[in-house]
Amino acid sequence: MKIVPLVALLTTLFFSGCIKDVKPWEKEILAKKTMKESGINPINKQFEEHIYFSKEASKGGGGVAGGGCGCN
Amino acid sequence: MQLKISLAVATLLSTMALNAEDYVTVQYLQYNENKDRTDVSAPSIMINKDFGTDYTLNASLVVDVVSGASQNYYDESYDGTSSASSDTSSGASAFARGLEIKASDVEYGNTQYDDKRVAGSLLLTKRFENRDELTVGVSRSNESDFYSTEASAEYMHWLDSSKNQSVAFGVSYQVNQILKYCNSVGVDGCSGASQAMDATAFNAQVSFSQNIDSSSNAKIALFFSNDDGYLDNPYLNVVRNYKADSSADVVGENRPDSKIAYGLTLKYANALSDTLTLHLGYRYYSDDWGIDSHTLDTDILYEFDDDWIFKVGLRGYIQTEADFFSGYKDYFTDEVYASSDQRLSGFNALTYKSSIDYKINDEVNINFGANYYTQSTGLDALYFVSGFTYGF
Repeated sequence: MKIVPLVALLTTLFFSGCIKDVKPWEKEILAKKTMKESGINPINKQFEEHIYFSKEASKGGGGVAGGGCGCN
Repeated sequence: MQLKISLAVATLLSTMALNAEDYVTVQYLQYNENKDRTDVSAPSIMINKDFGTDYTLNASLVVDVVSGASQNYYDESYDGTSSASSDTSSGASAFARGLEIKASDVEYGNTQYDDKRVAGSLLLTKRFENRDELTVGVSRSNESDFYSTEASAEYMHWLDSSKNQSVAFGVSYQVNQILKYCNSVGVDGCSGASQAMDATAFNAQVSFSQNIDSSSNAKIALFFSNDDGYLDNPYLNVVRNYKADSSADVVGENRPDSKIAYGLTLKYANALSDTLTLHLGYRYYSDDWGIDSHTLDTDILYEFDDDWIFKVGLRGYIQTEADFFSGYKDYFTDEVYASSDQRLSGFNALTYKSSIDYKINDEVNINFGANYYTQSTGLDALYFVSGFTYGF
């Protein structure tokens, strides 16, 4: 678990040095669907997460809403 | 200044057009494992509808039709009264359990099962005057032996006036009911009557998102979960007190009745050029069952001719085994907790991902994806996703 604060600290330090104040008129690229965290098709991301949940012992990190599954 | 405002308005309008979030998408998943194990067919539909600029409703429904087999220990000589879906004539049943059976009758192989899952969810997002967002959701999942109800809420708060930084906090609570069939009378305290078992799951996540520049952003999230109640797989068995050339007990597995897990995710997206976008992700997970895992995920998207998006991706995963796992039939004796579920073993996995998205016109997109998942346990799976999205 010691890795968690370490990674958080390193990430903060890394990004704090290169962050720019992006103005609203500069956000066209950020708004593209290829930039979306959920992928270009959200339901397919859910399929993937469901497969991993049913085949691996880890879960979490992708948001709190997801629903249950009897695939312990 | 006026030029900047005009540009901002023009960009906002184009952004809104790009983000036209009224759509319906219909997708079909076909998932097949090797060695005659699990096959899944899953049609699904998702509808997303904005109501003005302040509300968005998202509804989804998926039907999983599952058939196949899972690898399990069983008593080959079992001729019991299994009433659930099993093949009693061959003894290859998850319910083929027994005490002091002949050691030579302990087998490991596929036990058959079939199931259908219908799951739906509803998410409502409310945006406030400062454009903070509150999303509340409910979901329900029904299987013949499993029922789940979940409620969730997430609040996203902008930290700066340019809306480049945000923090979000979310919680969910899930109530599950598991039907535990009881077919092997006298084993595991079974009287012949099936039981409804209960479990709950609480999840919490706090995340921080940051636009790094006009073409990249990053997100860090910390998550926590607490599972409580009946966490066994009611169909999986373990072998206890195995004595070669003598006897053995084949009984149901037994897991702890609580699990606390926590972890961290990092995500990064960068538009490398007008047509090329890179996504990187990392997750660290740890729980008090002894499982630690690391996941690395990368996707590269290539836009071609305004109408095509090609994606290739690679995901790597590694986990340690649970404290109470053993895959051996001569390992367990009188330990309280015991499982031979391969999902609790130490293994690594790779997923090779690919997909194509094609814009037919301004309203309709079609997509197709082919993915290959392989585990060091010997499990391989090929799955395809195809469908269309209609924007309205």
